[in-house]
Amino acid sequence: MAETLFKRYGGFAKVSRIVSDFYGRVLDDDGLRPFFKGVDMSRQIDHQTKFVAYLMGGPASFTDEHIERVHAHLDIDQGSFDTLVVIFRETLEDHNMDETDIGAVIGELTSRKRLVVKKAGV
Amino acid sequence: MTDAVQNGAGIDVAVYKSLAQGLDCAVAIVRVDDWGIEFENGRFFRWFEPSPDEPDTLGVRMRDFKPERATSRLTGGRTLTFETKVSVDDQETPLRVSVAPFYGHEDEFALVQVHSIAKEMEIQYMLDSYSRMAEKNAHELEKEKERVERLLLNIMPKAVVDEMKEYGTATPQRFESVSILMLDFVGFTDMTISQDPSAIISELNDIFSAFDRIADMFDCERVKTIGDAYIAVSGLPEQTPEHAHNIARLALRFRRYLERRNQAHPQEWIARIGINTGPVIGSLVGVQKYVYDLFGPGINFASRMETASEPMHITLNEDTMSLLKDDFVFTDIGEREIKGFGTQHLYALDGELAGRRF
Repeated sequence: MAETLFKRYGGFAKVSRIVSDFYGRVLDDDGLRPFFKGVDMSRQIDHQTKFVAYLMGGPASFTDEHIERVHAHLDIDQGSFDTLVVIFRETLEDHNMDETDIGAVIGELTSRKRLVVKKAGV
Repeated sequence: MTDAVQNGAGIDVAVYKSLAQGLDCAVAIVRVDDWGIEFENGRFFRWFEPSPDEPDTLGVRMRDFKPERATSRLTGGRTLTFETKVSVDDQETPLRVSVAPFYGHEDEFALVQVHSIAKEMEIQYMLDSYSRMAEKNAHELEKEKERVERLLLNIMPKAVVDEMKEYGTATPQRFESVSILMLDFVGFTDMTISQDPSAIISELNDIFSAFDRIADMFDCERVKTIGDAYIAVSGLPEQTPEHAHNIARLALRFRRYLERRNQAHPQEWIARIGINTGPVIGSLVGVQKYVYDLFGPGINFASRMETASEPMHITLNEDTMSLLKDDFVFTDIGEREIKGFGTQHLYALDGELAGRRF
């Protein structure tokens, strides 16, 4: 079996720093900040570390139903999701991830877009 | 510094400069066209000392700065962040650098801020070592589970192990047609008394290990050994129409193995073998020290056949013989009184027809 990105990039410790940095940037963004109003960011970062670890083939698992359920009340629009993807990409770049690997992780993330972005006309 | 950096608040640029000097992070203002340093505070100067022979640019000052990436990021109005390290007084400090558009002067300048992330790195190191420890423990636990499972598989069938894992207990199961082999050595007790017991046990261990390998080849399974007795079955836990044939071949192979061994060793091992076909109940017995055991008249009768056997003979009754009669050869022993089973017509299994004779 090929080594997972999770292993290659240094496991939970590295992922948690990427995620922590990422949320620093997300909270700096005026458009995205409101989504995290009242959210305990330590828990959020811990949780998202597991999620990003999962996107990178690490030892955590998330079902589509779970992802859909926790985002249901947030009313996330297409634009916000795209901004988040841009910030995520920049964060991965700034942590010196290879372009191909960034593509793979971003692909994993965007393939789940339909689970979090509110459906048009609903 | 250009006049543009002074703004209309009426505060002299000197005030901004002294404010910047007082910060505990490193800050600099750089030109976005050639990345030349326009202004820096004391900490920036200390962390990234200029080199006298080279142009004073960010690329020269910071080894991890990538100008092309910075240009493309800042042109889009975005911030570039990266990590680097500096060595001050023989102490290496990890740093995080951000290069952001300088508000109000984006076309001309960028604001560089540098923070120490030494504390973060300490925490990362700790997290790393803890997660490695947790992974190692999980791995060891997994290995231990496999070891326990292998041990369990030695003493009971896989289906029973699975049932045990699922429900914590296993229900007795009836097997309609299985064949049983019982083997016992003649004079074993005398052997252990008259000779070196540990050498005898070691030989017994060799013989039983050989039996296990033979049983495996003939789709039979050892149920258990009791002292010098060896009990094997075929047709359990997986049913097979060949169970009687398997056990007959096993008996012949056991006998041939012993004959050969006896020719090559000073110590003779003489066995009686009984085989029988019939229904049995398989069940776990015991709570703490459980064993998987077989019960029923099928088992008892195999034991009787073993007792009734002449040394180095394989004894069976008419019912079992009739299952085998087309493929094996027998000697008619005649009728005998078997305790608990009345009068039985017994046979001795001599060999297999169609080619090989055991």
